[in-house]
Amino acid sequence: MGNFLQRIAIEPFERFFDKVVQFLPNFLTALLILIIGVVLGVILRGVFLRLFKAIGLDRVSERSGVIELLKKGGIKDSVSVLLSRIIGWITVVIFAVISMRELEIPTVERLFESFLLYLPSVFVAALILLFGYLLGNFFGRAALIASVNAGIRFSGVIGKFVKFTVFILSATMALEQLGIGSGTIIIAFAIIFGGIVLALAIAFGLGGRDIAKEYLEKKVKGNEKKDEISHL
Amino acid sequence: MNNSIIFRKEVGERINEIREADILAGIPSYNNARTIGHVVKAVQAGFAKYFPDKKCVLVNSDGGSTDGTAEIVQNAGIESYQAILISHRATPSFKITTPYHGIPGKGSAFRTIFEIASALDAKACAVVDSDLRSITPEWIELLIKPVVEGGFDYVAPLYHRHKYDGTITNSIIYPLTRALYGKRIRQPIGGDFGFSGRLANFYLTKDVWETDVAKYGIDIWMTTTAIANNFKVCQSFLGAKIHDPKDPGADLSAMLHQVVGATFDLMETYSDAWKTIKGSEPLLTCGFQYAVGLEPVNVNVDRMIEKFKLGAKELCSLWEVFLSKDVLDFLCGSQKLSKDEFRMPDSIWAEIIYSFALACHKKIINKEHLLKSLTPLYIGRVASFVMETWESSAEEVEDRIGKLCLTFEDKKDFLLNNWQ
Repeated sequence: MGNFLQRIAIEPFERFFDKVVQFLPNFLTALLILIIGVVLGVILRGVFLRLFKAIGLDRVSERSGVIELLKKGGIKDSVSVLLSRIIGWITVVIFAVISMRELEIPTVERLFESFLLYLPSVFVAALILLFGYLLGNFFGRAALIASVNAGIRFSGVIGKFVKFTVFILSATMALEQLGIGSGTIIIAFAIIFGGIVLALAIAFGLGGRDIAKEYLEKKVKGNEKKDEISHL
Repeated sequence: MNNSIIFRKEVGERINEIREADILAGIPSYNNARTIGHVVKAVQAGFAKYFPDKKCVLVNSDGGSTDGTAEIVQNAGIESYQAILISHRATPSFKITTPYHGIPGKGSAFRTIFEIASALDAKACAVVDSDLRSITPEWIELLIKPVVEGGFDYVAPLYHRHKYDGTITNSIIYPLTRALYGKRIRQPIGGDFGFSGRLANFYLTKDVWETDVAKYGIDIWMTTTAIANNFKVCQSFLGAKIHDPKDPGADLSAMLHQVVGATFDLMETYSDAWKTIKGSEPLLTCGFQYAVGLEPVNVNVDRMIEKFKLGAKELCSLWEVFLSKDVLDFLCGSQKLSKDEFRMPDSIWAEIIYSFALACHKKIINKEHLLKSLTPLYIGRVASFVMETWESSAEEVEDRIGKLCLTFEDKKDFLLNNWQ
C-alpha cells in the first residue's frame, strides 16, 4: 500500500517539484528580463520622443503627407509620438522574446522563432505600403494637375486612376513580400491592370472615334482659333 | 568655378586677345537663325553710332543651336556704315560666339555673358533677346548710356506692348515686385537689360545657377537682386517690343512654375528688404516716349474660361489647405457664372497670389505641384482681364494695371501678417 502511494502520489509530486525547482531560476530570469525590457522600453520611448521633436520630425511629416495618411487611417497621434511608441513596444517585444527563450520551452521557442523570422517581412511590407500610398498621392496629384492644365475634362478620373494604380502596385508588392499567394496576386494584378488598359483602349476606340476625328480635323485643318497671347 | 566657360581654351584665347572692354553686349540664343542676324546688326550699329570711341564686344552665348544660329552670328555685320549715317568707326568691335554650359536655359547663357564681362573688366553691359524683330541701334544707347553717363547700375526696359502681351508680367510679376520692393519697374522680366560691370560681378558671386534662375527665372532674379541690394536702378523706353512667336509647345505651367517660383524664392532671400517697404515710387525713365501701332492678338476667351472652371472644379481640394474661405467661395461660385458674368476681382487675385506665396514659404505642398496648380487660376484671371478691357485703349489698360498694383500694395499687410 505504502509502495503504491509512493508511486502514484509522492513520486509524481517529487518529479513535479524537481521540475519546478529546475524551472524557477529560468522563470525568475525571464521575469527579470521582461521587467528590464519594459523599463527600457519606457525610457527609450521618452528619449526618442524628445529626439524626434527636437529634429522637427512632425513638421517634415506634415509636409510629406504622412500626417494626412495617418489621419485618414484614424490615427490622431503625431508621428513623433507614434514612432517613439513603436520603438518602446519593439524593445518590450524583443525583451519578451528573449525572456521566453530563457524559459526553455521547446514549443514556445519554435513559435517565437517563426514569428521572429516573419517580422522583417511584415516590417518591409508595411514600409512598401506606406511608400506606395505616398507615391500614389504624389503621382496622382501630378497627373491631376497636368491633365487639368492640358484641359482634359476627365482629369479627376486620370488623377485617381494613377493614384490607385500606384497604390495597388505597392499592395501587390507588399503581399508578395509577406508570401501571401505571390504568384496568384501578380497574375491577378496583371489581368486586372491589362483588362483596365484594354477596356480603356476599346472605350476610346469606339466611344471617342468622333472626338478623335474632330480633333485630328482641327489639328490638320487648323480651324481652331488659337491664342496668340505671349505670357512672358 | 572650374565649370566656368572662360576656362574653355578658345574663349580664354579670345579674351586674352581682346584683353579688356568698355562695353559688352550679350545675346543668348537657341535656334534663332531667323532673327539673330538682325539683332547682331542692330547691336553693332548701336556700338558704331553711339560708342564710336569705346572698345565694344558682342558675346553670343548659345544653347547648342542646330539651325545655323552661330554661323549667322559670325557672318552678320554692318555692310555699309554710310547707310546708317556713320562716317567711320574709330575702334573696331569684337565678337565672341560660344556655347554655354550648365542647365539648358537663358540663365545659364547669361552666366557665361557675366563671366566674359568680368574677365574683360567691362564697364557697362547690355543683354538683348535674340528673337527680337523691333530692336534698333538706339536700344544699345538707351540700355548702356544710363550706366556709362548716368552712374546707374541697372537699366530695366520699358516697352509699348500689345495690351494682351506679357500677361504674366502684367498680372503677377509687375504688381508683386512693385508691392514688395516699392519700385515701379514696369517690365521686371522684359528680357533686355543694361547693367554695370560692378553689378555683373555681383551677380557672379551668387550661387543660383542650378536653380530656376538658370532658366526662365533669370530676368526676375537680375531685377530683384539689383533693387533689393540697393543698386541704382532706372528704366529706358525702347519703343515697341515685337518678337518672334514663342515656341507653341512651350508649356505655360512650366513657364509659370519657373518665373513665379523664382519670384517666390527671391521673397525668401530678401524678406528683410521687402518687409519694411510700404507703397511704391516711380523710377527715372530715360528715352523719348512715343505711341506705336501694334498688331492685334487673338484670344480664345471661351477656352480660357473652360480651363479655369475645370481647374476650379478639380483642384479645389488641393487649394482649400491654404486659400481663404472667401477665395474658395468665389471659385466655387464662379463655376455657375456665364461667360459674360465671369470676372475675377483684383482683390481676389491679389489674395490668391499672396496665398500661393505663403503656401510656398510654409512648404505646405510640393512646390512644383503648388505652382503648376496656379495655371488655371492665372488663365481665369487673364480671361477676366481680356473681357474687362476688350474695348479699352492702351492707356486705359495701363491705368487698369496700375489699379491692380495698388490693390497688391493695399493687401501687402495680409502677406506680412501671415509670413512667419
